[in-house]
Amino acid sequence: MLNLGLDVATTAAILFIVSAGLLMVFGVMKIINFSHGAFLTVGGYASVIVAHLGLAWWWGVPFALAIGFVLGIAVERFIVRPLYARPLDAILATWGLGIIVGQIVTLIFGRGVQMVASPVEGAIPLFGVQYSAYRLILIGVALVIALALGWLLNGTRLGLQTRAVIMNEALARGLGISSSRVRFMTFCTGAALASAAGCLITPLASVDPNMGVPWIVGAFMLVLVSGSSLLSLAVASIVLGGAQVLVSTFVNPVLGGLTIAVLAALLLRFRPEGFARG
Amino acid sequence: MADSAYALRASAASPWRRALLAGGVALVLLAVCSVVLPTFLVNNLIRAFLYAAVALTVDLLWGYTGILTFGQSAFFGIGAYAAGLIFTHAGFSLPLAAGALVAGIGAAWLVSRAVGWLAFYHGASPLYASVVTLVLPIVLVQGIYSGGEFTGSSSGLSGFDSFDIPLEAWFFIAGAFLICLAVTAWMFVRSDAGRLLVAIRENEARCEYLGIDVSRYKARLMDTCAVIAAFAGFLFACVQMVVAPEYAGFVFGTELVIWVALGGRGSLIGPIAGTMLIDVGSAYLSGNLPYVWTLLVGVAFVVVIVAMPRGLAPVVAIGARRALPRRRRADAEPVVFAVAKAREHGGAEEARPALSIRGVQKHFGSLKVLDGISFDARAGELLSLIGPNGAGKSTLMRCIADGAERSAGSVEIGGTDIRTLAPYDCVALGIGRKFQTATVFESLTVAEALRIARHRVAPPSKWQRSPVLELPQPALDVLRLTGLDRMPGRECRYLSHGQKQALELAMVLALEPRTVLLDEPTAGLTKQERTQIGEIFVALSSRYRMCLLLVEHDLEFVQQISSRIIVLHQGRIVMDGGVDEVVNSELVRSVYAGESHAAAGTQEEGRA
Repeated sequence: MLNLGLDVATTAAILFIVSAGLLMVFGVMKIINFSHGAFLTVGGYASVIVAHLGLAWWWGVPFALAIGFVLGIAVERFIVRPLYARPLDAILATWGLGIIVGQIVTLIFGRGVQMVASPVEGAIPLFGVQYSAYRLILIGVALVIALALGWLLNGTRLGLQTRAVIMNEALARGLGISSSRVRFMTFCTGAALASAAGCLITPLASVDPNMGVPWIVGAFMLVLVSGSSLLSLAVASIVLGGAQVLVSTFVNPVLGGLTIAVLAALLLRFRPEGFARG
Repeated sequence: MADSAYALRASAASPWRRALLAGGVALVLLAVCSVVLPTFLVNNLIRAFLYAAVALTVDLLWGYTGILTFGQSAFFGIGAYAAGLIFTHAGFSLPLAAGALVAGIGAAWLVSRAVGWLAFYHGASPLYASVVTLVLPIVLVQGIYSGGEFTGSSSGLSGFDSFDIPLEAWFFIAGAFLICLAVTAWMFVRSDAGRLLVAIRENEARCEYLGIDVSRYKARLMDTCAVIAAFAGFLFACVQMVVAPEYAGFVFGTELVIWVALGGRGSLIGPIAGTMLIDVGSAYLSGNLPYVWTLLVGVAFVVVIVAMPRGLAPVVAIGARRALPRRRRADAEPVVFAVAKAREHGGAEEARPALSIRGVQKHFGSLKVLDGISFDARAGELLSLIGPNGAGKSTLMRCIADGAERSAGSVEIGGTDIRTLAPYDCVALGIGRKFQTATVFESLTVAEALRIARHRVAPPSKWQRSPVLELPQPALDVLRLTGLDRMPGRECRYLSHGQKQALELAMVLALEPRTVLLDEPTAGLTKQERTQIGEIFVALSSRYRMCLLLVEHDLEFVQQISSRIIVLHQGRIVMDGGVDEVVNSELVRSVYAGESHAAAGTQEEGRA
């Protein structure tokens, strides 16, 4: 029972980490960044590069953040910016970018699965059960990301401008806020977050050129039901992630894998605003 | 006169002849190719033909109608698995094959109905429809995975028997299927009914307020496309004698979109060419350049989406048009306007109010925008709604034309309660609404836009273009007064602002409404246009006995044309009376001058 509770908590934490960057981009720019999966992959390979260099695993996180940010700059400028007015086309172009990244990674690193040594091994005893130490750490990481994003949005000038753009872009522009700068910073932050998330999940998942693809649909659905709020995303991650764990444990794992997508699609049919306040 | 009659007949016949001619030539070419081409290529082309058929359905859904779908692969997979499962578990025979075909198509149709119910409803966002089509193949593939030996799990089904006919025959069958499909689709999208696809893509809301149940139409289109994809999948399983989860998966669904985008969405021929070139190209090149080929396709896809959203088809078409000798453009067929016979409506209708509003409220959370609005309007009345910005005038218009808008109260149109009816059902009750900003279909011509408006009253042909467009007299009057009747072939995007306003008005009048809602119809018009349109309004109410409800800011204009004025202030009716009474009242002056609410309040109490 306790084990199940921990499964729910850690699954929710992982989903939150993986989806946070996508939420940033969707909340501000109202476009779905389907290259999110590609950024996850890039982050995964960042930890591979770090391992090749002989550095400690933890170096992968700042490295992935940096790579994600820099790539985000280029992608925003050349692919996303021309497509602001065409949100459905933006989905397609970013999906195409995912294909490109996947192929480039394959050309450089080969098709095979790369293994990355986990930074913390084994399980630790907690309330009388043994549980994977790394998954527990991820709960803390999710909280750190939530607090950091919360501070960015609520405690900085750029964050204030960002919230203004989320609420009413036309008005924000009228008040002299450069919405294109806000969009640019948001996309780069979202890309960096995605890349870091890709690095963070490497101890749990294998690293291969398509490692981001299985995550993208789940993250996409979570973001759609959360609108533009971090709090809604946390709630959605716990509720839908919890449902996924329960179905996987008590019904069957294949159905478990579908839980998020199906529940989110049905939820949106009857309550288009999802978990967001409406 | 005789000349023009001949021209009309020729233009009506030519789309048939051209399409059938092109189809016939393609069939002959196909027969020749089946003998001449090397086996490897023939084999690949069979597959490419079937993929192209599915890509064609993606083009109809996405390119023409604007529904971005990732789910056509699922329907293809359903058709293929129906054949694979039955041939594997029950064996192959002709009756079983027929059964498999029926089962595949039936299953695809049922799934499509479910998807349509989920994805298309009044007010659904286009993104949501894409989400549903994305979830569909994912669910289907997981279902196949968990089917164990029955569905062959991840390795699929193979080694089952199928029709014992040579490859060349399959080549001809698959090619002929594609050609028939392409010719049919081509005739449909160019027909009068087919233009509705483009109209939906360009402006769904306008279509709904023209009395068209867009969601239902989209769902029917998806059903048709699902059945076609399932048929292609069935043929695929029969030829290849193998089915695998990838053919039903979401990645294949995105590939179809990529092929359509590269070839040129909304052109039919582009997606076919794109699919065949890339699929056959992959067969030859992906062996030598395993990852580079996919990389190149990915780069081309991104570049096309960003820089050339219409894909490569228009580029090729423009090049061909330059290279070929000058030809008369086929699109320039003239359309002649004619008077439609007025529909019967008994004099009894005059007796009861055209519009009856009782206690209508609208609130957003705690904010009350409309509060206790009640009034009647009769046929022949030209009723103006005035009041400062934020008084709730436009909101009231919305509450009358869309049953789902108001929070409380009742609205009766021609004696029928609108309950929570959607806009297209309200149109059927006899209401027409002109939007505040001129809303037309940018890439349709004037005549096409007007024909969309006639869709509900006089459903157009699905296979050809009619050279005559019958419109009710009031709509014709508007066209004639504004000169639009001389430019039926002009695309709406090239019209001036005033012409767009007039065209939208004519479209609303083409619905033959009993009551017309006009939201600031004179905004942005020149003085001359304004006078002209004022005369039209007066004629509509006095000559054609319509009931007009007009939202206006210009008091002088209102004074000239109205028969009655209602003043709204902060969501309430503060005055309702004759023109002179209202215009000369202190109350109106104070409301417009933005003076104290106290003044308005005392007046109101005084009236009560």
